[in-house]
Amino acid sequence: MLRHILVTSNMAARGHVQDPNDRRLRPIYDYLDNGNNKMAIQQADKLLKKHKDLHCAKADPSRQVLKAIGLQRTGKQDEAFSLAQEVATLEPTDDNSLQALTILYREMHRPELVTKLYEAAVKKVPLSEEYHSHLFMAYARVGEYKKMQQAGMALYKTVPKNPYYFWSVMSLVMQAISAQDEKLAQTMFLPLAERMVEKMVKEEKIEAEAEVQLYFMILERLGKYVEALDMVRGPLGEKLTSELQSRENKCMMMYQRLQLWPECNALSYKLLLKNPDEWQFYLSYFDSLFHLMDKSWSPPNEEEHCVEGPVHTTVAEAVKFVVDRMEEEDKKDSRPLRGPYMACLELIHRLRQRGCPDEEELGDPLELMLQFFGKFGDKPCCITDLKIYLHLLPPEQHTQFENRLGELVPLGEVGEDGFGFPGDTKALQRHLCVCQLSRVLGLQHTLDTEGKLCLITELKAHYHYGLQFGKSCLKTELQFSDTYCLMVAHVYIDLWTETGDENMLWQCLGVLEEGLSYSPSNAQFKLLLLLLFCRLGAFQPVVDLYSSLDAKHVQHDTIGYLLTRYAGSLGQFAAASQSYNFSLRFFHSNQKDTSEYIIQAYKYGAFEKIPEFIAFRTRLNQSLHFAQVRTERMLLDLYTEADITSSLEESVKAMGLCPEEDDIPWDNMRDNRDLTVLFSWDPKDRELTEEHRRLSLEEESVWLKVRSLTLRLLASLALLGHAPSKRNSDKTNENGVSAKSSTLQTLLSQLDLTLQTAAQITEKQTQYPFLGPPSSRLASALSSGSCHCQASALQLSLTLQELETTGLDDSSELQTQICNSFKSLIVQLQELLSRCKGDVLEMKDSRLMTQPSLLETLVFFVETVCVVLWVASYSASVLRPLKSSLQKKKKKKTKDSSTAMPVVLSGFQEWTGSLQGIVTQALDHVKGQEASLTALKLAALTLGVGHAQTQEECGFTRAAMDKVQTSYLGSLQELGDLLRKRADSLKSLKF
Amino acid sequence: MTTLRAFTFNFDICYNNYGIPFYLQYLAHWPEYFIVAEAPGGELMGYIMGKAEGSVAREEWHGHVTALSVAPEFRRLGLAAKLMEMLEEISERKGGFFVDLFVRVSNQVAVNMYKQLGYSVYRTVIEYYSASNGEPDEDAYDMRKALSRDTERKSIIPIPHPVRPEDIE
Repeated sequence: MLRHILVTSNMAARGHVQDPNDRRLRPIYDYLDNGNNKMAIQQADKLLKKHKDLHCAKADPSRQVLKAIGLQRTGKQDEAFSLAQEVATLEPTDDNSLQALTILYREMHRPELVTKLYEAAVKKVPLSEEYHSHLFMAYARVGEYKKMQQAGMALYKTVPKNPYYFWSVMSLVMQAISAQDEKLAQTMFLPLAERMVEKMVKEEKIEAEAEVQLYFMILERLGKYVEALDMVRGPLGEKLTSELQSRENKCMMMYQRLQLWPECNALSYKLLLKNPDEWQFYLSYFDSLFHLMDKSWSPPNEEEHCVEGPVHTTVAEAVKFVVDRMEEEDKKDSRPLRGPYMACLELIHRLRQRGCPDEEELGDPLELMLQFFGKFGDKPCCITDLKIYLHLLPPEQHTQFENRLGELVPLGEVGEDGFGFPGDTKALQRHLCVCQLSRVLGLQHTLDTEGKLCLITELKAHYHYGLQFGKSCLKTELQFSDTYCLMVAHVYIDLWTETGDENMLWQCLGVLEEGLSYSPSNAQFKLLLLLLFCRLGAFQPVVDLYSSLDAKHVQHDTIGYLLTRYAGSLGQFAAASQSYNFSLRFFHSNQKDTSEYIIQAYKYGAFEKIPEFIAFRTRLNQSLHFAQVRTERMLLDLYTEADITSSLEESVKAMGLCPEEDDIPWDNMRDNRDLTVLFSWDPKDRELTEEHRRLSLEEESVWLKVRSLTLRLLASLALLGHAPSKRNSDKTNENGVSAKSSTLQTLLSQLDLTLQTAAQITEKQTQYPFLGPPSSRLASALSSGSCHCQASALQLSLTLQELETTGLDDSSELQTQICNSFKSLIVQLQELLSRCKGDVLEMKDSRLMTQPSLLETLVFFVETVCVVLWVASYSASVLRPLKSSLQKKKKKKTKDSSTAMPVVLSGFQEWTGSLQGIVTQALDHVKGQEASLTALKLAALTLGVGHAQTQEECGFTRAAMDKVQTSYLGSLQELGDLLRKRADSLKSLKF
Repeated sequence: MTTLRAFTFNFDICYNNYGIPFYLQYLAHWPEYFIVAEAPGGELMGYIMGKAEGSVAREEWHGHVTALSVAPEFRRLGLAAKLMEMLEEISERKGGFFVDLFVRVSNQVAVNMYKQLGYSVYRTVIEYYSASNGEPDEDAYDMRKALSRDTERKSIIPIPHPVRPEDIE
């Protein structure tokens, strides 16, 4: 790849001339391309040695850079950088060095250095088209729009080619788009861009379609819709040919902006006659029609209504138009289009909204929907289509509708189980559509428990029967009857949430596992299983499910939340770390990718794509989930490693954490989560609402704030511990320390405020739809008491810092205060631990019961222990020197033994003892849970009693139970391991 | 019924198989060849993505279908045919001689669909698809349909011998 880039651009630059240097560079390129970096370095060294007499960089700069690339790739960043800078300071102008340095800087994530490189090259070779254009692209990579504008013009002056001129114009548009001040965009950047284009228009120099597109973009952004419309309709518009219907679409857009309803209506009508399936034009047709009616518009003359042709201004005309379209479809021999029939329902919906009585002329919605079902009921999309218009049916018609639909489904004779089955996949699809509609109408929800259980039996029978149609399906294909299985699961979930009967949940897991065994690619099965396991607190099975979903790129942002919400909170630290990495890798690579393609878009004149690419990148950078994984990843690393493998301070430094810095875009946070990724056929009143989305984002943001403040506070604490010993020797250092403690103080009060907001939010006790967003950890964090305990621990570090300055004499009040804090922390921890007590999994009367919340609380306990122990370790670092100076004093006045041990020292000793005690208690609890989990013999459970589960189904249910049991054990083991390591670190605190 | 529109780069691409750079590359170069279909409820029904390439002098300038995808619940509605028709129309306007595409030899459903739309097998490309998920390498059909500029339909006269991927343009 590397050589490909270099060679092609060299060839372009110099044509066929063979540079002897190139030939000798080839082996180094080969090694680099094959990932053999060590050999590349050796080869470069070998060749460089031949020029021993000269300064390496001067003699052979490009080889030097290639060596640097090798070094960079073997992890020797510093060496690579200084080697590269040696060459860079020479301001090279040979292609090999420039290109190789460009690649190196890109790999070092230092694109700004490329601009410096070409700025120098352009100065030395001012007539080089190639270097000018590289400079432009280098600016593009870092988003320096103003410099791009100038570089574009410089390029155009060197080589007067149109694209260069328009690069410059586009860079002005980008300045407008990125301007914080909209006024500046509207009064300066865009008008200037407009004038630049106008100049070319006047001189008749416009050549390409891209240039016209850009002109349109500018006029549109300036709100000059009339001018834009004239332009599109005029001779320049003739260049708009690549995109289909490009001129029509642009005209339509301008008609709407200008509220030119006659033109809008006439154009929609024309386009619909041509293609009666284009949904967007039905919408603009109806919109414009009603606007015209509201204005009592009438055509200025009989012959021509407007430039676009005849205009419809009455309901009668619209009704006739729609009815005609349906009749056209009815007449056709080929497969009918759905558009006209949907348009009919849409028109009824709009007439009803306006209280207009004419809807009857179109027919009864119930009959129309039955007709639609008759035509399209065997298509899987029938449900998505009809769902939109179900509100046209009054509730009292719902059952009738369901029955009438049923009559249109050809089923075989009723067997001994009381059910008739479809004879082919088309009939199956129809039957399935009726089941889905019945659920959407809420008819399944109103059934009582017995009714729901019967429904489950029926759906299961259909599911199993339908499997025969998919016997020849490939592994990658879905079974025709999969949706039945998913619906069974949904009814089980209804029963579980209504009755609290956990058996329903276990059976639900069983049926989904069974479904997955027949249809291993069904993403909906996996998603629902994943959600259920998470709710059960069993994270282990989730890892495999998620990886088999084969989530790609953007999905790491849109559905990654399903994973990352639960990973850490269930104590599966290794899996959590892995899942954060999945997401982070995506976010980081996205950064690089987009800038490359922004540059491509300039090259090919796809100007309208540039703002889209940038908006996309921004949306990812401001992603809530991105900020969450960033924060959680660092917290997790601290919890699992700091003061175990390396000190807290070292860990914080390795992460580059700075307590003063907040890199989360609080005011522009984007919620990119796909909260409807799980199929749902719930009726409207149970669906996810905008309010749910808002509340969920609010809750997640506040939780993120708590976490990010905790992280910054920990960084702050780590840096506090850095300074003490030189306290007296260095005045500036003391200032440094107080600056640090004031950061700590500020962050603590922010945390305090955030926790108050958090309390208000959790008071609302928002319940989301089951298949909607999971609740954040906020509520359980608050109710467990862990947030407050952590906050008081961190607060204590401030007091200790004060003691450090005051010293042991004259600080009895402070010391008492500290001792009280020690005691209070013990009480808080003890309470937190008591909330963890209980059995996560137990068997009662042959039923399996779970209490996953205990696991989550236990995780909070462990996290809190970590924080408290870091504070304890800081306390020790403060008290140790105080104690030793006291001992020195004591030695001096040996006779005077009356000086008692200061309370803070004895208090600390007592404190570490109590901490040790609590950690031991916790470990005992974990051990106890592990033992009782291991002792639990699930095989002893009798399944299937009363609920007619087959032997096979029981097997799947049992397998799901095993997974949960194993997962709990895994969580407990990881938590236990961490606690043990923390207990060890406690020992070193004694003195 | 469908809303067909130019693809605006956004989160729509969630549920497809290629990496983001792949889409960006096509959008930056051939934005007009990227069309999506949307259902009235806003669901993404499917999309087509392609490009124009080849030498005009050698009469090899043509439209190429890079990806055509229709969501399972929107299949058997004629959407793929509609999207193909649009891509052909764009290629006509660009003065292409033909439209071509590659399809797995085993994907009989797709091969038949393309035949119905007027495409014929021009040649077989050996092991065009690399092995994945435990499946071995697989051959591709290079299928073509002549456009109006190729009046004698020279571009679609089949090549009898299979070729290797490195031998195709």
